[in-house]
Amino acid sequence: MRIGRNAWIGAAGTLAIVLMAAHGAAARVQSSEKDLARAGAETNAKAAATRTVTDESGRRVTVPVNVQRIVSLAPNLTETVYALGLEDKLVGDTDFCDVPAAAKQKAHIGGPQNPSLEAIVALRPDLVLAAAIDRWETVNALTRLGIPVYTSDPHTVNDLLESVQKMAEVMGAEQRGAALAADLRSRLEKLQAKLADRPMEHVLFVVWEDPLITIGQKTFIADALRYAGAESAVLSDQDWPQLSFEEVVRLQPDYIVLAPDPEITSAAALADLRSRGGWRDLRAVELGHVAVMSDEVNKPSPGLVDAIEELAQELHPDAFARAAKESTMAQGSRRAEANERECATCAH
Amino acid sequence: MRPLTPRRILGICGLLMGVLFVAVVLALRMGAYPIGVTDIVKTLFHGAIGRWDEIPSEYRLVVFGLRLPRIALGILVGASLSVAGAGFQALLRNPLADPYVLGVSSGAALGAIISLAVVPHVPGAIQAAAFAGAALTITAVYLLGRRGGQLDSATLLLAGIVTASFLSAVIMFLMTTLTGRDLRGMAFWLMGDLASPPPTTNVLGWFGFLFFVFVVAAGAIYTTSSDLNLILTGEQEARHLGVNVNRVKLVVYVGASILTGLAVSVSGAIGYVGLLVPHVMRMLFGTDYRLLIPASVIGGAIAIVVADTLARTVVAPTELPVGAMTALAGAPVFIYLMRRRVR
Amino acid sequence: MRAAGSGAILANPAGMPGERRAVRLKVEQASYAYAATDRSAPKFTLGPASFGAEQREIVTILGPNASGKSTMLRLLAGLIKPLSGRIEVDGTEVCELELRTRAQRIALVQQESELLFPLRVWEYVLQGRYPYGRRLRFESEEDCLLAGNALAQVGADALRDRWMDHLSGGEKQRVILARALAQQPSLLLLDEPTQHLDIGGKVELLRRLRKLADGNRYTVIVVTHELNLAAEFSDRIVLLHKGKCLRVGTAAEVYEQGLLEEVFEAPLDVEMRTSGRPRVILREGN
Repeated sequence: MRIGRNAWIGAAGTLAIVLMAAHGAAARVQSSEKDLARAGAETNAKAAATRTVTDESGRRVTVPVNVQRIVSLAPNLTETVYALGLEDKLVGDTDFCDVPAAAKQKAHIGGPQNPSLEAIVALRPDLVLAAAIDRWETVNALTRLGIPVYTSDPHTVNDLLESVQKMAEVMGAEQRGAALAADLRSRLEKLQAKLADRPMEHVLFVVWEDPLITIGQKTFIADALRYAGAESAVLSDQDWPQLSFEEVVRLQPDYIVLAPDPEITSAAALADLRSRGGWRDLRAVELGHVAVMSDEVNKPSPGLVDAIEELAQELHPDAFARAAKESTMAQGSRRAEANERECATCAH
Repeated sequence: MRPLTPRRILGICGLLMGVLFVAVVLALRMGAYPIGVTDIVKTLFHGAIGRWDEIPSEYRLVVFGLRLPRIALGILVGASLSVAGAGFQALLRNPLADPYVLGVSSGAALGAIISLAVVPHVPGAIQAAAFAGAALTITAVYLLGRRGGQLDSATLLLAGIVTASFLSAVIMFLMTTLTGRDLRGMAFWLMGDLASPPPTTNVLGWFGFLFFVFVVAAGAIYTTSSDLNLILTGEQEARHLGVNVNRVKLVVYVGASILTGLAVSVSGAIGYVGLLVPHVMRMLFGTDYRLLIPASVIGGAIAIVVADTLARTVVAPTELPVGAMTALAGAPVFIYLMRRRVR
Repeated sequence: MRAAGSGAILANPAGMPGERRAVRLKVEQASYAYAATDRSAPKFTLGPASFGAEQREIVTILGPNASGKSTMLRLLAGLIKPLSGRIEVDGTEVCELELRTRAQRIALVQQESELLFPLRVWEYVLQGRYPYGRRLRFESEEDCLLAGNALAQVGADALRDRWMDHLSGGEKQRVILARALAQQPSLLLLDEPTQHLDIGGKVELLRRLRKLADGNRYTVIVVTHELNLAAEFSDRIVLLHKGKCLRVGTAAEVYEQGLLEEVFEAPLDVEMRTSGRPRVILREGN
């Protein structure tokens, strides 16, 4: 039996109907989204005015003047929200947001790399904070659905300070943001002063032990380390260069720096490296120069400054010990200097 | 003697469509945002008859803006991969062939990586670059896979495997040396992932275009289904019966490769579907390609919709990539069906 | 066995005495040659050969290995074009026929069938109807009837619902033959069909071919090296040796001791029997 003409007509008819239905549905999807965006804008217009800001990726974002419901898509951004005291407005964060511990209690929307669009939408946020290095399609999708997304993209510690301030401004906490940024800035400046005349320690920052992965010169972590008086011994423009152990032996860094998660003590890390062949023969390990940083260093957040300070203390202990005594001895040393000057002149 | 009739085909397709319909309704029901089945049905109904204001705005957004496009994409991808798999199994005379064996997915992945590194945030760039990569790979493998000017199954298979390995090596090289940070997203893309929303605001145009390409490519393969039945009993035998074997091979090669490129460009390399769905359909309905191809279209759609629903809900709110689900679920299903087969 | 319940389509009463038999196959000075590459000298030359075959005849192309039998068969099937001369089936030159038309006139029966996926016997035989109708087609009742007839003609009716890969060697060959018959060809070509069969199977096959030729008016061309079977069942024999067509005629005409010994390179004796058909045996004492 050949396929009769009637059957073809029937199939064509069905196809036509399906296509028309699909057309209708799709057109309505489009219009539904436009409606929604409009409705969203209208509600915002009713509630409060909106304004347009430029985020850190150069996107122009229309945010409400009065932000009430924030969803964070990255752990460091969650931390910033808490640091700014805005946690009451935070309605959702990722599974990995655990600093501070209270963040774990918030509603979760998935991971930074694979958040659930629906979960985000279900929380009805009027502002979403995202990290530019995470999934960009989420940003696009949320934008298309009419939900404002502010992306943060700090490449250096200085960028971080500006980002904190900018985000605070967007979320309506301008003064707190400025205060926080100023405080962090002054702490860093004090640190720099203390370390001013100290030579930089050459360190190997270990991201992963096997394969051995470290950081490149242009990374955020490298910049943070510099504030702590440490220079990554590895000269590479790649972000995450993979080294052979031989290269480490050649470099013989002064210090090995780790940022493990969960955190362990420096002593424990040292003991662990001492038990490994190869590692234990490095000069740094023999001398006990193994420092553990909090894994705050891995993310651009206010807690980073604490991590930098801790590392600085470990790498340059005498700068801090001296500083503690300096205030009491300052007078004494000035007197001693004065004496020396007098003696210098009277020696002859 | 019960030869295959169009009525039987339509009957089986009707049955499968019923299963697909149930799967779609369940998929619409599941998700982070709580909506009951009755509400979904009401939403769909109101949407179908045009009473948009009667639907709460969030239901509209979640059902029509988020879930339905994702399901539609899943149906398209599942259908494409299954037909491509069935086609390649006949073309290469190998039951283990899947749509990626000829390197199309590696070419698409390479295109995607390059696009991520060069123009990271441009919407639609990944899909376009992936399809371009797929197209170039199809051409290269075709040229390498010829023997005496015509496609030869064994040569084609070798050419495809070599090309796939080479491209994978290039991809690995790029992933370790490129400094672009956005490459982290590649992991999910490589595993196969339906979460990417349409890259344009013109949803109708996007799906219309995808659907059109699918119909053309799958339709072309379907016109050779009688020929494929004969070719499966032997190439020479088919020639003696009057089949233009060389032309059929070319049509199936191009059609199946385009379908694979299409699927991979929009959703990454979702595995196991193209391999297993044709086999399952064969076990259920026989090896006649006149029925196998439409059955695979719908069967593949069902498989992906179910897998994606599971991927979205099993460890909510985290979303697993759908490729992980097909991998986990595919093997046991296949083993079960294989052992149940009584002959 | 007669075609069962076939109605008008294939009922074939025995031919009337004195009926002129149609010439189905005509080979006129056909030759062929192939070389390793386009530019090197021909490695192998076939022909020129001339012979014919009529309706209801079994013609055997006989010769040792590498005598060009397979090449001749491919020429007859239209798979390759002769370099010179003509090969005609039912008056039309074979290589000029369109693929599907050719499949309606000529059926080539392969030795083995390598199936990739399981198939039932009737599905397999039904595929023989492919050359008729459109490319994407669904089999009609007529097709089913003809396929059933074909199965009956080879005595494989009972195998209808069996799976192809569950058949014995002999059964499988009958089914393969049935598919060829389903093509309703004028010309049936068989390439070394007795190779994998035991003596009983060989005789059975050739008897069946004889019946098909006589009863259903097929023209059968068999390529083989089996001397005695050829003598027993053929109407005409074409003897090939190293590409040359040495002799064409009945078995009695062709089987000359000296000639056979030269061609087959073995000590042979030719016995003439009462039936008029010769028998070849290996000479003792070597």
